[in-house]
Amino acid sequence: MNEESNGIEVEGLVRQFKNGPRAVDGISLTVEPGEIYGFLGPNGAGKSTTVHMLTTLLPPTAGSARVAGLDVATRGAEVRKVIGAALQEAALDPNLTGREHMKLQTALHGLPKEERVRRGDELIERVGLSDASDRRVGGYSGGMKRRLDLALALVHRPRVLFLDEPTTGLDPQSRASLWEEVTRLSTRDGVTVFLTTQYLEEADQLANRVGIIDAGKIAAEGTPAALKAEIGRPSVEVLPVDPARRKEAEDILLRFGSAVPAAGEALSVRLNEGIEELAAIVRSFDSAGIELASLGLNEPTLDDVFLAKTGRHLEGAGEAESAEMPLPASDPDEQAGPA
Amino acid sequence: MTPDRTYFSAAWAVAWRYLHNLYTKPAVFVPGLIFPLFFLAAFAGGLSAVGDTPRFDYYNFTAFQFCFILIQASALAGVFVGFSIAGDFEQGMGRRMMLATSRRSSILLGYALGAALRLIVVWVIITGVSLLAGMEVRATGYDLAGMYTLGLLSNVVALLFSAGIAFRFRSLQAGPLMQMPVFIALFLAPVYVPQELLTGWIEPVARLNPVTALLNGARSLMAGDPTGILLAYGVAFGLIALLALWALRGLRRAEVAG
Repeated sequence: MNEESNGIEVEGLVRQFKNGPRAVDGISLTVEPGEIYGFLGPNGAGKSTTVHMLTTLLPPTAGSARVAGLDVATRGAEVRKVIGAALQEAALDPNLTGREHMKLQTALHGLPKEERVRRGDELIERVGLSDASDRRVGGYSGGMKRRLDLALALVHRPRVLFLDEPTTGLDPQSRASLWEEVTRLSTRDGVTVFLTTQYLEEADQLANRVGIIDAGKIAAEGTPAALKAEIGRPSVEVLPVDPARRKEAEDILLRFGSAVPAAGEALSVRLNEGIEELAAIVRSFDSAGIELASLGLNEPTLDDVFLAKTGRHLEGAGEAESAEMPLPASDPDEQAGPA
Repeated sequence: MTPDRTYFSAAWAVAWRYLHNLYTKPAVFVPGLIFPLFFLAAFAGGLSAVGDTPRFDYYNFTAFQFCFILIQASALAGVFVGFSIAGDFEQGMGRRMMLATSRRSSILLGYALGAALRLIVVWVIITGVSLLAGMEVRATGYDLAGMYTLGLLSNVVALLFSAGIAFRFRSLQAGPLMQMPVFIALFLAPVYVPQELLTGWIEPVARLNPVTALLNGARSLMAGDPTGILLAYGVAFGLIALLALWALRGLRRAEVAG
């Protein structure tokens, strides 16, 4: 990967803290230029430590990492010129306004004076903070702080962007708005995005590829679809209207797959062939005259992948599944902060 | 690597934020001013009879004390920068600056620039109050420039010392470690009477204390009779060289700690 590339190459990266465990234990991964790479894992898996090493905030104990073709251990100053980062805790000064933060950040990055105000205003507008830009950040809501943090990470037009759990604690609207911006950065501006998250749906929807990290090691890597396909076929879940015909329904289902646990009174089988069997299943119930209260097709989730690879569920899996994403809209709560 | 436009731009940005917060939060700025004014009132006012001690041959007691207050106020302004650095690391702003600057020594330079600019305000106030309190100035313009430069160098010395601690601990809990050694060094110098009048254990301690050289140099410049200036500047630059290493190594420690 040359210095013109926007990609990330990690080889055997290790971070061992003094008298502590190996927070990152020999991970290797590659992120292609312009790709959104989702780094998925539970709390304490090593996601943030990896980001800290890739953003030159923490030196690796062993292994190597190149960001935009530059070695993070030996060319840190150059790496920092081409990356942007919004870390888990939005580090903002409560005494500065949004606009003053932009002024500070553009100057820290050494943007020419004549460009600073223009770039700051442009990004403030882009993240929807124009109305609040002259208010002190101490009065911003969590979502507004996250959006400002993202804008600050973009002032110098980075080629690689690191987002460390950018939507943790955000309401669904703010989350959707941030997702939209991240997608736009990747597709329109060609920015490579390295995104850590513990939300399955976030990784599933945003990421071109996903790396699953657990206990400092990469447990699985690939596109969300490939990972899900790798661990198994979809399952079908039915609930007969008449409980007395449950046995007959079960016999029909077992012709198409093997039984798997289902919720409540429902019956479920993992399909032998795949989704194409669904029509045959419906016809079988129809010809047997069994009326169904519900019939559902369940694709494997990334949580199933995580379960298959690590033997346990990912924290927050349920939360992600229940998070329905409405279309981005202005958040009335966020406009209600103190002036 | 030679400092470039980006380097100084980052340093000015750090200085701007430091001053912005200082002057928008009186609770941060005022203590740095109250201390020297309190000492000025206590020493030059309450203890003015000390000037009548036999063999106390300095021409004006207020001017004698002003030189100490100048060095003390300058040094404390440097120590308070350490508090700001530690606070910034606690708040996360330290990490933001570490991420945004390609060369991180610009952060230290920025705090130093901010401290120097803050110092001008402190100097104006303590000089004004001292003149009102009857301070007689015998120094020429060059002497005054030399004396205030010694103040500035004291500021840099204390700043580098406290910054070294702040970068290592990255917590305001390290405040006493920044403040106490500077206080002790200041008060183990000839504060109330000239060095020649000190007796007992304090005499050899004061003789070896580097602050004594700075203080004697400033007092001689104020009197318009510069003596021991080379020693004063030599001590100041020597300390700056040593403490710059201390501070930069502290910065490296902060980098390694993440």
